Formats: sequence, C-alpha cells, structure tokens
Amino acid sequence: MKNEWILEKNHLSYWLRQLRKERDLIGPLRDEGKDIVFRSVEQIHEVILDSPASLPSPKEFLIPQYDPMLRLKVAGHELAFPSRPQPVSPDVHMKESFGKKRVLDLMDKKKRVIFGVRSCDISAIRLLDRFYLKGYRDPYYEQRRKNTLFISVVCNNPDPTCFCIGLGTGPYLEEGFDIQLTDLGNRYFVQAASAEGIKTVRGMSFLFSRPRKTDLDDQYEVFLSAKARFHKRISLESPRRMILAGRLKDDFWQKVAARCFECGGCVYDCPLCTCFTVTDRRYPDGVERIRLWDTCLFKGFTRMAGGILPNEKRVLRTMRWYYHKLIHYPETLNKFGCVGCGRCAITCPGKIDMATIATEIKGLALNGEEE
Amino acid sequence: MKKIMTVCPYCGCGCGLYLHVENGRITGTSPSRAHPVNRGSLCVKGWNAHEFATHPDRLKYPLIRKGKSLKRATWDEALNLVAARLGEIRTKHGPDSIGILSSAKCTNEENYLMMKFARAVLGTNNIDHCARLCHSSTVGGLAAAFGSGAMTNSISEITDASLLFVIGSNTTEQHPMIGMHMLEAVDRGATLIVADPRRTQIAEFAHIHLRHRSGTDVALLMGIMNVIVSEGLVDADFVRRRTENFDPFEEELKRYSPATVEGITGVKANDIRRVARIYAMEKRSMLFYAMGITQHITGVDNVRACANLVMLSGHIGLPMSGINPLRGQNNVQGACDMGALPNVYSGYQKVTDARARRKFERAWRKKLPVNPGLTIMEMMDAARVGSLKAMYIMGENPLMSDPDLHHVRESVERLEFLVVQDIFPNETSGLADVILPAASFAEKEGTFTNTERRVQLLGRAVGAVGESMPDDGIICALAEKMGYSMSYRGPYEVMEEIALLTPSYGGILHHRLSDGFGLQWPCPDSSHPGTPYLHRKKFAKGLGTFITVEFQPPDEPPDEAYPFLLTTGRLSFHYHTGTMCRRTAVLEREEPECLVEINPADAERLGIRKRTRVRVSSRRGSIEPRALVTGRTPEGTVFIPFHFMEAAANILTNPATDPGAKIPEYKVCAVKIEKIGT
Repeated sequence: MKNEWILEKNHLSYWLRQLRKERDLIGPLRDEGKDIVFRSVEQIHEVILDSPASLPSPKEFLIPQYDPMLRLKVAGHELAFPSRPQPVSPDVHMKESFGKKRVLDLMDKKKRVIFGVRSCDISAIRLLDRFYLKGYRDPYYEQRRKNTLFISVVCNNPDPTCFCIGLGTGPYLEEGFDIQLTDLGNRYFVQAASAEGIKTVRGMSFLFSRPRKTDLDDQYEVFLSAKARFHKRISLESPRRMILAGRLKDDFWQKVAARCFECGGCVYDCPLCTCFTVTDRRYPDGVERIRLWDTCLFKGFTRMAGGILPNEKRVLRTMRWYYHKLIHYPETLNKFGCVGCGRCAITCPGKIDMATIATEIKGLALNGEEE
Repeated sequence: MKKIMTVCPYCGCGCGLYLHVENGRITGTSPSRAHPVNRGSLCVKGWNAHEFATHPDRLKYPLIRKGKSLKRATWDEALNLVAARLGEIRTKHGPDSIGILSSAKCTNEENYLMMKFARAVLGTNNIDHCARLCHSSTVGGLAAAFGSGAMTNSISEITDASLLFVIGSNTTEQHPMIGMHMLEAVDRGATLIVADPRRTQIAEFAHIHLRHRSGTDVALLMGIMNVIVSEGLVDADFVRRRTENFDPFEEELKRYSPATVEGITGVKANDIRRVARIYAMEKRSMLFYAMGITQHITGVDNVRACANLVMLSGHIGLPMSGINPLRGQNNVQGACDMGALPNVYSGYQKVTDARARRKFERAWRKKLPVNPGLTIMEMMDAARVGSLKAMYIMGENPLMSDPDLHHVRESVERLEFLVVQDIFPNETSGLADVILPAASFAEKEGTFTNTERRVQLLGRAVGAVGESMPDDGIICALAEKMGYSMSYRGPYEVMEEIALLTPSYGGILHHRLSDGFGLQWPCPDSSHPGTPYLHRKKFAKGLGTFITVEFQPPDEPPDEAYPFLLTTGRLSFHYHTGTMCRRTAVLEREEPECLVEINPADAERLGIRKRTRVRVSSRRGSIEPRALVTGRTPEGTVFIPFHFMEAAANILTNPATDPGAKIPEYKVCAVKIEKIGT
C-alpha cells in the first residue's frame, strides 16, 4: 500500500491545528502586507500556500544563527578568565558535574513542524544530513533534526531566480521528504516518505482518504505545469567542466571578486552552507559557549596563529565558494553544492550569485572566448 | 519563533530587517525582501545586528560613582542624584553651564524629548550630537543654498540614473546598500565618476576616478565648474529661472582654470574637462558625497561647491537628479530634524526666530533661552576653561569620536558632574559620575529617519535587558524629578507633539508608518503621501543661491617634521567607536586590530613591511598600530580607521574646525611614521 492520500483543503486547518498541539508550527506568513517570512503560526488561516522563497532558508531551524551550546556555571565563586574570553574546552557531551564547575547542556529540545517548505530546501536538508550526521554526528543538529517535521509543497510558483529544475532538486520530489503536498485545486495530494511523516498522517487517518486514479493524473498534470513555470534553466555541469579543464582565467574570478561586498549574505541565506564560528561569552556567574553563523568569504575565517591570513586576497575566497559548490561537493557527496533555490540571487548586492556566474561561464564556453 | 520587522541600527541606509526571537531571546536577523532600500540584502553588520543586543556587557542597572569605582544603585537613587546635581549646578552657575549630547543612535522621539529637556527643563540651548562631527557642514551648507539640508533624491531612484558622481564617499563599504544600487545603475549603463584620494571599492567600478589630494575638493569642484561655464555647458535656463547670485560666483570661477586646478589637486586638467563635460551634458545625474566632503575646515565650502555644481547644470529638483549627502548614523538625519542642535528646534526652526520660539514656549509652557548654544567642540573647550560644569551624554562616546582625544579627556575630567546614558560601558562612561542604562534598538519603540528622509517605525522584539529603560523613559523620569511634567503614553504620543510643532513632520504619525515602509519628509499633513525627491519646481527657500567659495588649504598640511597626510575613516566590518561591532564575534574576528594603510612606495622607503609595528605621531599624540601596505592609499598619505581604542586615530586628529559648521578636520592632519617593529 503506497503512502499516498488525499486531504480536502477544508481539512488543512484542522490538521495543522492538531499538529500544533505537539509542536511549534512554523509556516510562511505575510508580514503586514510586506514580506513573507517563516515564523510561528498564530492564525492558521494566514499561512501562505504558494509562498516565494523565504530569507533565510529553513536551515535556520536546524542550525540557528545564534546557537547556545553550553554554559559553565560556577557555584560560589567566579571562574578566573583572562579579560578577553579564551576558549575553554570541556567535552561537549559531558553533562555531569565535575568539581565545583557544572557544565549545563543547552540542547534545543523543542519539537517543530515546518509547513510550506519548498522541495529545493528539502533536498538541501538531505545534504546537510550527510554533512552533519555522517562520520562525526553533530549532537545539536541531530537533536533538532530528529524533532523537526517538514511538510513540503510541490512548487507551482517559482521565483524568477529559481533554477532547481536543472538540478533535480525540485519543483517536486520523488523521495526523501517527510510529507509532500501537491495542490490539486480543492484538495491536496499527500505523500509521506519518512517514518515520522507516515506516522504523522496515519495518526490522523480520519482526515485523509485514498487517492483515485484521477487524482494521480491530476498530480502528474501539476508536476508538468510546475516544470513549465521556470524562467531559468541552468546547468551547473558545464561550469564544473570549464573549471576542471582550467579554462577560466584568473581575470574572470578577479572580476567576480571585485563585485563582492563581503556581506556574507550568500552563505547566510544558502540552505547548504554550514560555516560557523564558536565564541565564548563571559557572564558574572560563568561562561556561555555559542555557535554563530559565519562565512568562508571572510578573510579572518581561516586566520592562523600569528595572524597569517592564507586567503587574504578576496579573489581566493570568492573562488572558493564556487569551487566548493561546483567541484568539492560533487567529488565528496556526488551532488552539486547548490539546489537552485535562487536565494543568493535575491540577496547578493554585487549580483555575483550562482545562477549569474554559472550562466556567464557557460556563455564563455559557448563563445569559446576562453581558450 | 517570532520575527519582528525593524530598522537596522547601524548606518544611515535604514535597511529593513527582521529580528528573530525564540523563547524570549533574540537569535537572529534576516533581511526584508520588499524593503525599498535593501531589497533582500544586508551588509555584514546588518546580518549580525542581533548579537550585540544580548551581549553580557550590557549595562543592566544604574551606577553611581563612589570614589574611584562605580556602584550599583536604584533608578530612584540615580535619578535623584542627577536631578539634584544638575539643579544645583544650574542654580549656582546658570543653565548654560550644562551641556547635553543627544544621540544619532536614538529614536526621533528620544531626540525630541532630549532637546525639550535641554531647552524647557534645564533652560539651555547647549545641545548637540554627532552630526556636528559628520554632516554639520551639510546642514549649514545646503540650507543656505536650497533651504533644506538633506538628500534630495530617494535611494530607489539610483538604479535609473544615467550618471553618478560620487565624491568623498566609500559607498560600498560605508553605505553598502546604496553601493548596491549604484553598482546596479552601472550595470544598466550609467556612467560612474568617483573622486576620492583612496582607491576604494566603488572607485574600481568608476569610468573616471579622480584621485585629488585630500582637502582640495573646493579647487577640484571649482575647476569642473570653470570648464562647464567656459565651454558653455551651463543650464542657462535653470540658472536664470531658479537661482540667484550667479554673477559674482561666475566671476570667482575664472580663477580656477583647469591648469591652475591641476596644480592644486594633482588631477590632470584633461580629466577635469572630461568630467565637466560628462556631468553637465548627461541628464539624470546624481551627485553623492559623504565625510570626504564634510570633514574639513572648509566643509561648508565643499558642500556649497557641490550645491553650486548641481545648480549650474540644472541637475536638481527631478527624480534621479540631485545632490545626496549620505548620512552616517541610523538616525542622524532624524536627530538633526528633531533639533538636537544648539541653534534650531525641530524642523530647523531657528531658536533666534522669535515666532518659532514663541510657538515652542506656548506648547511647552516654559520660557525658552534666546541665544544659540554651544556645539560639541565648543562644549569641550568650555569644559576645559571651566565655564561648562556638567554634561549629560546620551548614546555618544566623545572620548573616542572627537578629535585630539588627549584634549577631550582633559576637558571631560574637569567637569564637576558627568552623566552617561548608554547601552554599553565605553571610554566616556569610565569618567561618569552616574551611568544610566538604556535599552537597545531591539527593545524599544519609536522611529528612525534614514538618509533619504524616510521615517520608519522600529519593532520591539524583546523587553529591555535587566533594569535598563528606553532613553525616552529615562528622560521623562528625569524631567519629572526636576519638576517638569513629561508624560506620554508612548512614543506615538511624542510623535504627535512633534507633528504638531514641526511642519515637515506634520503628517508623520505612527499609525501611518506601519503600512508600507514609512514616509519621507516633508510630509506636511496627515493625508500627504511623503516626498520622494526635493526641490521640485522651486527650492525649499524659493530661489537657489550660488554662494561664492574660495579654495583654502587644509589647516595642517604635511611638512618636514610631519611629512605624511593622515586621513581617517571607517572599515566595512566596524562601526564608529566599536561599542556594538566589537562585541560581535564575526565582525571583531575579521578586523581585530588597528592597521594603518600605507602606500607600498612609502613603506619601502621606511623599511615597513606588512604587519610591521609602527609609531604614528602627530603634534597631539601618537599611536602604535601595525602596517597594512596597500596601493589603495596614495603616496604620501596614510589611512587609519577610528574604531580601535587600542590605537585611537583621534588621538592624532586635528581639532581645527570649519568656522561656520564647527566640524573638525578629521580628513587631513600631518603625521610622521616611525618603524618600531620588524
């Protein structure tokens, strides 16, 4: 029996209301008629079902911008720290007391359901899983990932900046999602793939009915029309080959780097970028270690002892961002480090986003300008 | 997770951003996609704006000096003490023995209340704020020429311009989101002319980059205008219909032939001719300037020269045509608009104008002082000679931001009583007798006015940290203690009072600001949609006035003893005196120390390599930063950012000021450089 159902649109609010009883319900909402942002839903009827790409991506619910990791409390007396907090190094997993110092574990145990996520972002999360959970398992990520249910929507309203279609990361997914909804007008075609997703639907089976043959046909039609709505068709394969063949001159990257404002926006907004920094904050009664979003586009990201900056030239850092996504990802994870969500195109003040640069490289290849 | 729309607390761009709140704690920031200024982008400071607000260093309760240390006190104790001491000093030495520094970081409502506090409660016009140090030349210079001293266009017009003339502004680093619009304009085919001694990032995109010597802006602009006149490129119709005083100005211009100007500025005569032709003949020309124009002893003249240039070619009073001073602080435009200045009430109504004064006297039910008060630099001088006894400083750090810091410290130390109201302890609060903890931008309501005159509503994301209070609450409580009732239900009521008394804010009310993204003043009544560009059909004051200016060299040019020209400024990762950004992990990590930028040729001559420790000395003091060898800075010039207390550039800077605006010459002083490390 396939994990496919039909949900009448009338029943959506009820379903979400039930889900909200156990989890923080987060969905795309219109903010006072201005932007659409993902935040906790108070009025369920206000959820936007065909939202444009949100800034930043839903990775903010798995790896928050500001993530307290642990807190050291000192009973009775203060820990002596130098005036500039230096990193302290207790084991992350240590939870029991040792001496008078107590390491408090700040794991985020909140359960969340994120509604209205796009397919590209689900594809990105699957890659994040491989980064954070293969080999060394990041306990903070793991905890949140386990507690978060994603309900994605087949995307029939792509932004002009979107290009998931060329990458196989959207507008709909065949597998790897928790729950995927396809809008069939007055009803949703519901698919569940993960165990948690299946459990969630089955737990309220009275809301769902079995799909008929015509529903499958309708869903297929939505898939086709969704595909037809894209403005951009960008292949990352040809830029990858151009780079690997060494056909891009330094001059090309110089021009790209000259336009970089070093705002970090592409990394902050990217659903796949994972750069972070760790810093310690000193309080009167102890110290808190926090993890913050960072970006490899900053020269200090790779600063070494003695103040040496291996990537001092901006061009090296800008280039690296593309190399990581176009070369290293395919080498290590067999996928491009880009899901075509188009957020970098929205956020980059210098307009040197993935789509623009990939298109430019392809243009060079076609014109044979570069030797 | 909640997301609250608010306005970025850093520069004057006024970007819309969301603060993310989880479990009552601020956890992140993201840009607004629909906002007309940032359109889904933010600079690195904006992206990290969430972090400092929750920093453990935040001042959480009032502090009172007991001997050498500061001790925790209750609000009542602290406010009683401030009220008593200020009252005492006022009785004994008169109201003008007290000086107030308001803050361009605070909201319009708070600035309005602060100026009301100074004038109605204390009875002095001694109120000023950091606009004195950045754009007082603009406020004075443009007001005299046009009747209004603000950016004449809107930021969103930039992308449609066909010519951008940027002088003395490192736009991509200091106003990144305006830089973004400029870059887009260039991509769409606009011509970009940059005049800046340093090769900044925006200069890399310039079709023409004029690297004139620091402090020769008047000569450069006069040279350009000389060509415009001599080649018959003047918009004669515009000059005849809309301006006055052209003839004496034209006479003065004759002295600035391109050849003469080349001698003064070091810019090739041919480049001057090219720029003049392009600028005058192109339509939709926007001129931008910032600190490179204003922070000189000829700051007002520099601004006047810019104003003359736009009038000469008729590039003003239309969309995509105008003169655009880029304001530095998130609310420096608003703080000026609110009259946190020694000579004007809100809306630039002069304190010397009896009618205006009468209006405020009737509204505030208090006799108001007649004579204009002291500017920041004058307050410091007065403190030094002992005529100023007390200061109340809100959200400013003059011990880092004013020129010639040794002198400033001495002056402040001589005060009998110093109150500092801030969110973090800083260099200035170290000398305070009372410290009042204030709420940050994330914890209060009110409005900021950005550089394009857009009045925008803040969103309150969380409650104030510890016992801290929003600045407006503190001011009102203190006024009550001093026997003057200031009672408002909230900032919206303050705004109503502002609207009542300030013609340009007449229609600016909080409930109107929440739909869309605020309103741009002038907005005279509650049905007015706001004004995207100024001086349409006629100038604010009627006819535009050509004000004749004359080139004068900087106050302290390099000489044999001090052979280098020092110019100061900011870095993209930091902001002013660093109280916020240096408590932000990524920003501080990027630029953890002061580096002096020196040209490779000079460096080689002095045996200085990358990161060599050097001593930079001026006649006023010395600092010891490391060197950054770069061709960005021209030969004979060094550049030092002023963010770092460990090597404070303002120990070196020259306190000489423009005679009109009293703005110090941060951009030019003479220094010598010695190598002390390897």
